[in-house]
Amino acid sequence: MNRYPNHTKKVLHGNAAAAEAAVVCNAEFIPAYPITPQTTIVEKIANKVADGKTGATFINMDSEHSVFCAAMGASVCGVRIFTATSGQGLFYAHEVLHAIAHSRLPVVACNVGRPSFPWNIWSDQTDSLAQRDTGWIQLYGESAQEVIDSVIQAYRVCEEVNIPGLVVLDAFYQSHTSENVWIPSADLVNQYLPPLKSSELTIDGWFSKAYGGLVPPAQYDKFNHHFWKEMSRVEDLINSTGKQFKTVFGREYGAVEAVNISEKTKQILVTLSSITSTAKGVLGGHKETGLIKIRLFRPFPKKSIFEAIKNIQDDCSFIVIDRNYPGEIEGTLMQEMKRVLYGRKHPVYNVYAGVGGRDVPPDTIEKIIEKFRKKEVARDEVSWIDLE
Amino acid sequence: MEPRNNNFLINQEMVHPGALSCRGCGWSLLVRHLSAIMGEETVYVVPASCFSIIAGPYPLNMLKGSIVHTLFAAAAATATGVRAALDIKGKKNVNVVVLAGDGGTFDIGIQALSGAATRGENIIYVCNNNGAYMNTGIQTSTATPFGAATTTNPDPAYKQTYPKDLIGIIAAHRVPYIATLSLAYLDDFVNKIKKAKEITGFRFLMVDGPCPPGHKTPPEMSITLARLAVESNVFPLFEIENGKYNVTVIPEERKKIKEWVELQGRFNHLKTNGYDTVISDMQNFTDEQWTQLTRKCSEKSNVPYAERKRK
Repeated sequence: MNRYPNHTKKVLHGNAAAAEAAVVCNAEFIPAYPITPQTTIVEKIANKVADGKTGATFINMDSEHSVFCAAMGASVCGVRIFTATSGQGLFYAHEVLHAIAHSRLPVVACNVGRPSFPWNIWSDQTDSLAQRDTGWIQLYGESAQEVIDSVIQAYRVCEEVNIPGLVVLDAFYQSHTSENVWIPSADLVNQYLPPLKSSELTIDGWFSKAYGGLVPPAQYDKFNHHFWKEMSRVEDLINSTGKQFKTVFGREYGAVEAVNISEKTKQILVTLSSITSTAKGVLGGHKETGLIKIRLFRPFPKKSIFEAIKNIQDDCSFIVIDRNYPGEIEGTLMQEMKRVLYGRKHPVYNVYAGVGGRDVPPDTIEKIIEKFRKKEVARDEVSWIDLE
Repeated sequence: MEPRNNNFLINQEMVHPGALSCRGCGWSLLVRHLSAIMGEETVYVVPASCFSIIAGPYPLNMLKGSIVHTLFAAAAATATGVRAALDIKGKKNVNVVVLAGDGGTFDIGIQALSGAATRGENIIYVCNNNGAYMNTGIQTSTATPFGAATTTNPDPAYKQTYPKDLIGIIAAHRVPYIATLSLAYLDDFVNKIKKAKEITGFRFLMVDGPCPPGHKTPPEMSITLARLAVESNVFPLFEIENGKYNVTVIPEERKKIKEWVELQGRFNHLKTNGYDTVISDMQNFTDEQWTQLTRKCSEKSNVPYAERKRK
């Protein structure tokens, strides 16, 4: 019964798991603003604060812009922050996302993915993928368990490199779906996640410092270069701290997850989030089809992908599934995969599926596998599989 | 440190030499007096404004306190986070002071400001109101006076609306202390900052900010102009303490708004633009504002001012 020692087993929505994560990680400050389908995350944290289950300071802010600015102000002063948002909220905070990242503040937030306008609250990753150039680490997962575990790991990695992190949940499929979740005890989390350290840059109110002032050209690129150096470590750190995660919690995570990939593989599906689970269920009937789940989207895990595909043949194709529409020809994940596969001979196909929350059942995955198995498909084929 | 000389308003200098302000700028004088009272254990939150520049580029800081520079719309929200974090760390005695311009206060920052005021955040919000976006080169804000020309309201399309009653808006948030301050009346200025410092909760101070390049005035006229603004009731000095209005400076000599207008190049265009009518409108508006203010001063505060403190 006790599969994971020092854990409590509960049946929770992904959003509730996010709230539990904030508490076990001892987030000290939670600025909050409601937005569907994230709202129950901050509601659950508010309840925990009201019930005294955490000593965190919870403040109802006036907008997501203000939420992330309050997070920035508090993080500059060296406290651990958690917040959550979704869709328009993340878009509204876009300016602040840049500021937090380039202030090198290890804020951790959850985003429950939904698209922009016209109104749509369903599962879609356009919001978070559109933040790919803001300088935030981005983690995507499949389950409520992965939400809690990714938040814990995000704090560990983000605080080591002083870069913020976004843990992304699929709307409803993850945020509002009940699953068994193993919640680690705070003691166990403390073994893995050291307390947030102050540095000489932390604003303490006692020593005169200035944070964020005008940086002239002769210095600006040095800040960027340092950021780049730290960002370049993140993929390895996700893999190494993902292995350490297993020694403490019994569950292991990496930058990517490869399924059924060998020298015999003829096609590889590339997925994010809960579509992965559906695809995994379909793979059993397709011996020559493999899958790469992108767990770490930012920085994009080139090394881990190469490691996963080191044995495949040149004619093995990639089918990249995008549950987002970035207003371009190719989806966001496709663009990233193409740059990773630059100079290689593999055919790379792009499929839009589940955009705006349309369900992606096993049949759709079957349809995708069948469609791109045929040799006559043009190399640059972009498919809207749900509309075909 | 012992005061060096009791005859000086500033006993402990909290600014370093070499501030980057223009000659005659209100910011330097304002911050010099403010910081001398707030002391070293103060975190200043500065949104995009002239003061972002004046405070010094990386890695400089003209203040002996700390500065957190932040985004234009976000001063009060960032200060909320700074306050929360300092409280979490047991540093409740460290002051958190926003230094914002009128653009960052009246316009783009008003939502965050309203949120912080409503929550009763324990911060002092200082608005240096120079009546336009001066840092970007004199564009109209909702604090720009009627009749003024700016680069986005150039003559003859000068500003034809009156500024927003921001003090009235803040007063509607039922905060414990609001005051208007003038650099021409330093005793009153210093008293109000000292008073604000002793109060817990959201405190709002608006300073009339001289701006020679923006107002098109000679730098040496800054204080004269600030005094005229008070004497002509364009910028009356008052405070609202727990809802009770009180005029703190009643000038010995009353001046007409025309004198204040004629000192400033930003109104020069009016001379070819129906001058007498516009001046008459401005005088009537100012008189009406003054009448309303004096009426409010005669009223008792009937608004409940429960002590708002976060646990």
